[in-house]
Amino acid sequence: MSRRLQSINDRTVMQDEIAENVKGYFQRLSPIFFSLFLILLSYVPLDFVLSSNIRPAVGMICVYYWIIHRPDIFNLFSVFILGLVDDVLSAVPTGTNIFSLLVLFVLLLNLGRFFNGKPFIVTWYGFAILSFLTFLCKWLIVSIYYGQFLPFVQVLFSYLFSVTAYPILSLFNAFIQNYLIQDEA
Amino acid sequence: MKRRRSLFIHLSYIRILAKKFAIVILFLTAFALMLLNKTESVILEKTSSAAADVISPAVDLLVVPARLIAGVYDYFGEIKEVYKDNQDLRAENKKLLNLYDKMKVLEVENKLLANLLNYEVPPEAEFITARIIAEEGDAFSHSVIAYTGGSNKVKKGQVVLSDRGVVGRVDKLGNMYSKILLITDINSRIPVMVEKNRVRGILAGDNTSLPKMVFIPLDAEINVGDRIVTSGVAGVFPSGLPVGRIASVEKNQVIVKPYSNLDNLEYVRIVDYGLEGIISNE
Repeated sequence: MSRRLQSINDRTVMQDEIAENVKGYFQRLSPIFFSLFLILLSYVPLDFVLSSNIRPAVGMICVYYWIIHRPDIFNLFSVFILGLVDDVLSAVPTGTNIFSLLVLFVLLLNLGRFFNGKPFIVTWYGFAILSFLTFLCKWLIVSIYYGQFLPFVQVLFSYLFSVTAYPILSLFNAFIQNYLIQDEA
Repeated sequence: MKRRRSLFIHLSYIRILAKKFAIVILFLTAFALMLLNKTESVILEKTSSAAADVISPAVDLLVVPARLIAGVYDYFGEIKEVYKDNQDLRAENKKLLNLYDKMKVLEVENKLLANLLNYEVPPEAEFITARIIAEEGDAFSHSVIAYTGGSNKVKKGQVVLSDRGVVGRVDKLGNMYSKILLITDINSRIPVMVEKNRVRGILAGDNTSLPKMVFIPLDAEINVGDRIVTSGVAGVFPSGLPVGRIASVEKNQVIVKPYSNLDNLEYVRIVDYGLEGIISNE
């Protein structure tokens, strides 16, 4: 009887462990999944006057947010995947979005510590600076690719729109992050 | 055993190296992809189309709820306009009926004249209607993805029309989804002409909402408001398809405002005029 009880106990412990592991994986992967969801959402056509001209750089916002707040679960590979998905959906030359997100990643590796753990306004300011440099690099590489300069005003508008959209999108990301932290604690 | 151990050491060494140079490797990968793209590699294009076929259904899933939410807002906004719209539509219907009668007369006359001249009538165009599931418009590119449902009528380079005029051309073909390059994209070049005096030029996108008409003869007479239609040069697009109107004529550039509202395309027609032109399917 006691042996049977022991076996049931073992099975329950094993099931709990598996459930715990699955939950752990899900929590670790949720930033990349949520970022992918936001990128896909940004491609949904909306009857919005500006939607065919300006779109926030959702990939940049997500990479910046997660590298600043949770670099342990959002790594280089996640950055590459986000860039690749953005490249597949977009009509820019394949590799451009990967390149620009990698530039942001390198910038964050070197300068991210100045914005980590600081009040929101400082983080936002950081995004404004680093995303400007990233946009500039992207503009240069696409201009070199096409052999002609892209209209810089358009790039500037895209940049400003992305900086404006940062608080809203980081609010969504913060919701996921808080949910993660709460569960990990 | 010794061989296995040395293989393990080699693998772990490679792993450490890869980790150390991961950023460099990924940067090089991005550059390699761009170079392959520049050479218009068939492998990359096919892989990219296959990947788009995998990812696009996910965007497609999000379209319905997003449009539902946007639709509720629009519904209350539009309900006020229904009475006025109804009156306008009745007036337009009267006009269209008159035009229909005239068109019928012209059609018969055209047939008779064609018979007299022994004119070979070109085959009628075939088209499919496709739903737009994703749109992209920013400083770097302007395109949309359409659900073509595995139709074998869709080919690379075919003209895409909205209810008002030319929207773009089929750029990448997938099994179920196709990428359409809009006329406002920096890669788009369409041979066009001014309808009234047949002055030819090229409509070139520059990633803004207003493409430019370039390569126009210096002495050409072009005025604001002139209709721009496709010229049919190069044999990719047939001639006479409405594109837009001249929005402004400046010293260095002629700006065109497209007829189609590229901000809210829901359905488009992909038309097969049986023209092969200079864009190959390979």
